[in-house]
Amino acid sequence: MEFGPIFRAAIRHRARTLLIVVQVALSLAIVANCLSLIRNFKGYMTHESGFDDDNLVWIVSEPFSPAFKEDAYQIASIDDDVRRLSAIPGVRAATTTGFLPWAGGGSSGEVRVVGGPAIKFRTQWYGADPHVFDTLGVRIIRGRNFNAQEYEASAERRTQFSIIISKALADLIFPHEDAVGKRLEDPDRLEVYTIVGIIDKFYSPYGGWPIDEYALFMTDRNFTYLVRAEPGKAAGLVPVIERTLLRANDGRNARVKTVHELRSDYAYGYQLAVMPLNFVMILLVVVTALGIVGTTSFSVAERRRQIGTRRALGATRQAILRHFLFENWLVTTVGILLGLGLAVALNIGLVTLVEGAKIEWPILAAGVVLLWTVGLLAALGPALRAAQVPPAIATRNV
Amino acid sequence: MLTYNLRLAWHSVKRNPMLTALIVTGIALGVGVATPALTTIHVLGQDPIPQRSGVLHYVRMDSWDPAVPYPGRGGIPTQITYRDMREIMKSRIPVRQTADFQAALYVYPGDRRQRPSRETVRMAFSDFFPMFDVPLRYGSGWDKAADAKPEAVVVINDDLNIRLFGGGNSVGRIVRIADRDFRVVGVLAPWRPRTLFYDPTNSGGQPESIFMPFNWIEPMEIRSNGQRDGWKSMEGNPTYVERLHGSETVFLQMWVDLPDPTRARAYHEFLDAYVREQKKFGRFQRPLDNRVTSLSSLLAEWQAVGPIFKAIATISVLFLIVASLNLIGLFLGKFLARAPVVGIRRALGASRASIFLQHLIECELVGLIGGALGLLISVGVLSLLNKGSERLTHRPDLFQLDVTMVLAAFLLSLAAGAIAGIYPAWRICSIPPAQHLKNQ
Repeated sequence: MEFGPIFRAAIRHRARTLLIVVQVALSLAIVANCLSLIRNFKGYMTHESGFDDDNLVWIVSEPFSPAFKEDAYQIASIDDDVRRLSAIPGVRAATTTGFLPWAGGGSSGEVRVVGGPAIKFRTQWYGADPHVFDTLGVRIIRGRNFNAQEYEASAERRTQFSIIISKALADLIFPHEDAVGKRLEDPDRLEVYTIVGIIDKFYSPYGGWPIDEYALFMTDRNFTYLVRAEPGKAAGLVPVIERTLLRANDGRNARVKTVHELRSDYAYGYQLAVMPLNFVMILLVVVTALGIVGTTSFSVAERRRQIGTRRALGATRQAILRHFLFENWLVTTVGILLGLGLAVALNIGLVTLVEGAKIEWPILAAGVVLLWTVGLLAALGPALRAAQVPPAIATRNV
Repeated sequence: MLTYNLRLAWHSVKRNPMLTALIVTGIALGVGVATPALTTIHVLGQDPIPQRSGVLHYVRMDSWDPAVPYPGRGGIPTQITYRDMREIMKSRIPVRQTADFQAALYVYPGDRRQRPSRETVRMAFSDFFPMFDVPLRYGSGWDKAADAKPEAVVVINDDLNIRLFGGGNSVGRIVRIADRDFRVVGVLAPWRPRTLFYDPTNSGGQPESIFMPFNWIEPMEIRSNGQRDGWKSMEGNPTYVERLHGSETVFLQMWVDLPDPTRARAYHEFLDAYVREQKKFGRFQRPLDNRVTSLSSLLAEWQAVGPIFKAIATISVLFLIVASLNLIGLFLGKFLARAPVVGIRRALGASRASIFLQHLIECELVGLIGGALGLLISVGVLSLLNKGSERLTHRPDLFQLDVTMVLAAFLLSLAAGAIAGIYPAWRICSIPPAQHLKNQ
C-alpha cells in the first residue's frame, strides 16, 4: 500500500488530522467511561440475592390492639398467622422472620469465637422460624435446619442458642475449618451460640455497612412474615394475604408488598442513571461520525485534482478507495491510542466519585472496536465519492 | 463596531442556512445535554436552609466499642446515646438545642369507622421548630414548660390535619395517639423539603406527620423507628426506662445552635470535658473524638450531591466539548470559502485583528442561537427527568432551571462558540491578502 502519500497527506493537513485525532480520543474516553459506569450500575441492579425474589411476598403485621401487650397473645397471633398464610392456595411456604430482603438495612450484632482471640465479627442478625430458608429459597449446604424444640424455646428467655449462619460469614470466622458445631458468644459473654447449619448464598444491602453477605439466624417470632408463592402467583396473592390477615385478627394493620416491587424500587435509581448515559453515548457516537464524514468530505473535495491525476496515471478506483479508508483508519488509530490514555485518566477521576466503576480491558476493547467501526463507516461515503472522481478532471483547467 | 460585526455575522449566517443550521444543532445538542446535567448538581447541592446552616451544628461523640471503630461513614457513630444526651443537654452554651428521633405510633381517628393508622412521629424539644424554621400554618410549637412536664400537646402536619379534621384551623382539637389524648397546638403549612435534612440517618424521607414533646419517650415507652446502632448488650432483664439510661445504643440526633466561633469552641471544650469525665467511669474507651459540625459542613461531608450525578455531569460537559470540536471543520470550510472576500477587505486595509474579531463574533452569534435552542431542549430534558425521578423524589418538579442555570447555559454556549470558532477565525485572518486577489 502507498504509505508514503498517505502519511505525507496527513502531515500536510495537520489541523484536520489533529482534529480527528482529538475527537476520536475524547469520544473513546467518554464511551469507555460511560460503558464502565453502566456496567457498574447494572451490577447493582442485577446482584443476585440468593433468594427466590420474584416469588416472595413481604408482610408486616402492625398490631395496635392493647391485647397484643400480652406475650402469650402475641405468640398465639403469630403462630395463627403463619398457619393461615401457609394454607392459602398458591403459597409454597410461609415464615415469621425478622429478615426481609431488599429492605436496605435490618439488624446487626457482633460475635466472637468461644475461647478464641478477642476479635469481633459484625454480621446481620435475625430471628426466624425453621421455615425461613425454605421460604427464601436458600439451601442449607452443611449441618441441619432448626428443629421444633429450638423454635419453641424462643418463647422463653435463653442464654444458649442454636444458630445458622451464611457461608460468607462461616468462611470469614473459620477460614480453614468446618464451622458446624463451633460455638460463638456475644462480646460481653452473656450468651452462647452453637452453629448447627450453614446456608448458601446470602446477599442483602445493609446501608453502607460492609456486612451485605454476612447473616446469623436464630429462632424467634416476629410480626414480619415472608411468603413464597408458586411461580407467577406472587402479585395475585397480595390482596388475598391482606384479607386473610385482617379477617384473622382485626386489632392490627397489615402491609403487604411483593419483593419484586421492592427490588425494582431499589434498582430504579440505577436505571435512572443508566438512561442518560446511554443517551449521551449514542449521541456522541453520532456526532463523532458526522464530524468524520464532514472532515473527510472536505478533504476529498479539496483533493479532487490530485485524485484525478492519480487516476490518470493509472491508479485504480480501488486504490483511491483504499487510500482514503486507510488514511482515515490511520488517523483514527492514532486517536484511539491517545484515547486509551485519556480514558484511563478520566476513569481515575470518576472512580473517586463512583466506587467500583473502574475501567477494565474488555470495556476498552469494546470502545476501540466501536470507534474503529464508526470511523470506517463514516469515511466510507466520502471515500466512495473520491473513487468516482473521473481521471479526465486532471486535464481540465480551472 | 460591534453592531457592524453583528450585522456582517447575521448576513453570513443567512447566506448559508443549511450549514448554519447544522452548526446550531450541534451546539444546541451540546448545551441541551450539559445544562440539565449541571442543573441536577446545582439543585441537589442547594442548601436546604441557607439562613441557618452556619448556626445549626450537629453533635457526634465516639462512644463506640473500644475494640473496633464504628463501621458506618465517618468512622464515629452518626447518633448519640440517651444517657449522654441527658447529660449534655444540661449545657447552657448553645442558644437553642434539641435531641430528636423518629418513632411510629398509632393514631385513632375520632370516626370509629376508620381504621387506626400508623404515623411517623418526630420526638423533639420545643427548640426544634425555630431551629429548623418549621413553617406553621396555624398555632405554634410548644413551650419549654411543655417540654419539661411533658404536656400532652402535638404539632401535626397539613396532610394529617386533612385526614383527621378535614383541614382548617385545628388548634385546640384532640387527637388520640397510642393510649393517650393529645391537644393540637400547631398545624404545619405544606412542608416538602428536598431531603429530611434534620435527620442525617434518613435518606429520602419526608417530614413526620406528628411532632411530639421528647419527654414522652419514658412514660409512653416510645421506641425509635429509625436507625439504632448498638455494640454492647445489657445484663439481666432491664425495664425499658432502665435500658434507656444504661444502654450504649445510639439512636438520637443532637442539634445545637452555636451562632459564633467562641460558643462553638466553648461547646466543643464542654463536650471534651464531659467525655474525659466519663472515661473515669470506664466509658468512652476509644480515643477522644467529639465532632460539632455545622449543617453546611455536614452537607459537604455527606455528599448531598450523589456521586452518580457528578459523574454524569462530567460526561455531559465533555460531550459538549466534543460536539463543539466537531464544528471546527464546518466553520473552517465556511470561512475558507469566503477567503477571496477577506482578501479584498485585507487589501483595503482591514487589520488581521478586525478580521479575527469579525469571524469570532459570527461564531459566538451562532453559539448563542444554538444555546437558546439548547435551553429549550434543556427544559424538555428536565421535564422528562422530573417525570422519571418522581418515584424517588416524591416531587413532580424538583429539577428546574433558575437564573443561575440560564446564565450557565449562556456561558456554555459562548464557550462552545469559542471552541468551534477560534481556530477557523485565526486561519482566515492569517491568509495573505495578495493570494486571493490574483485569481479574480
